Amino acid sequence: MSEAQGQNVSAVRIPTLDRIAARGQVWARVAEKHGVTNPLPPWQSSLDGMCDALDRNGEALPLLERRRDEDLLSQAMYSALPAPENQLVALAHSLVARGVIEEETLARRMVAVRTRLEAA
Amino acid sequence: MAHGDDTHETGHDDLHPHAPMVEEITDFEVLEIAVRELAIEKGLFTAEDHRHFTEFAEQIGPTPAARLVARAWLDPEFKRLALEDAIAASRAVGVDWLQPTGFGTPSDFTALHVLEDTPNLHHVVVCTLCSCYPRPILGNSPEWYRTPNYRRRIVRWPRQVLGEFGLHLPEDVEVRVEDSNQKHRFLVLPVRPAGTEGWSEDQLAEIVTRDCLIGVARPRPGVTWNAVRAVRPAIRAAANY
Repeated sequence: MSEAQGQNVSAVRIPTLDRIAARGQVWARVAEKHGVTNPLPPWQSSLDGMCDALDRNGEALPLLERRRDEDLLSQAMYSALPAPENQLVALAHSLVARGVIEEETLARRMVAVRTRLEAA
Repeated sequence: MAHGDDTHETGHDDLHPHAPMVEEITDFEVLEIAVRELAIEKGLFTAEDHRHFTEFAEQIGPTPAARLVARAWLDPEFKRLALEDAIAASRAVGVDWLQPTGFGTPSDFTALHVLEDTPNLHHVVVCTLCSCYPRPILGNSPEWYRTPNYRRRIVRWPRQVLGEFGLHLPEDVEVRVEDSNQKHRFLVLPVRPAGTEGWSEDQLAEIVTRDCLIGVARPRPGVTWNAVRAVRPAIRAAANY
């Protein structure tokens, strides 16, 4: 059973995700800025694959908990974000709020990933 | 091509300019990678599993379901099969429902049912609990299907919600809302529309859009993609839910 099962995950603030939501680099904005017409971000199918893979695991974040959290968080905390950005942030929020991933670990990894992607 | 050739000197990019790309790395792209890497490191799934599922998500779509309906319209035997054993009918249009990815997706390991419309009966599909959807044969669900707005309201005010999709059903047509769950997924077999007499399976499949298969639209000759729906003001305010 996950650590925070039964708890209201929307009671947990996650500053790392709040900052991402506030910065608002959503696909619709960046796509328009760069003249790209693809309606969905390139990471969409990878997110879908991740959700399926987690559902198959079934224990770290069971399907119904994941979807319940997504409904709750998309409305309560990340309502300014469109889909699929709100789905991604809600997934990250669930994993942190339920103790699967530590926020500090996630923040550090994000810095490392960005450094890697921006390397010349 | 010889060196010094004018075409060669001009360069490939001038002749075939690249399509525009997003030339910045967004927080969301970084977040998706970071979460995925950490999940893999924690053993929640493997990179290979993730690649398989991502490939599955990219290759599914509504075409097999449209073909199933078109074939059922043309072949009474196939229609009987579809209604009695939808998984077998699914296999006949190229989707192995029990092994849609080739290695299994537990959330899709469910019974599949085909719901037959008649002139006096219309079906529409929802998942009130989450967003269960017959993905192997119909592709990824549209965003509106996942929203609490659709999920809550279609079961309470189906005619009103169908009206918001531009589908206005006469009072003598019964509406049945079928609620999907982890064990049962549904697909609507609409009534074959008038004006399609003599059409081939390919022609018929073209008018069976995703929305017809969910039940928020009806097939019509000439409509080969989900029609833009009329936007209407809500009759009941959110506070009344």
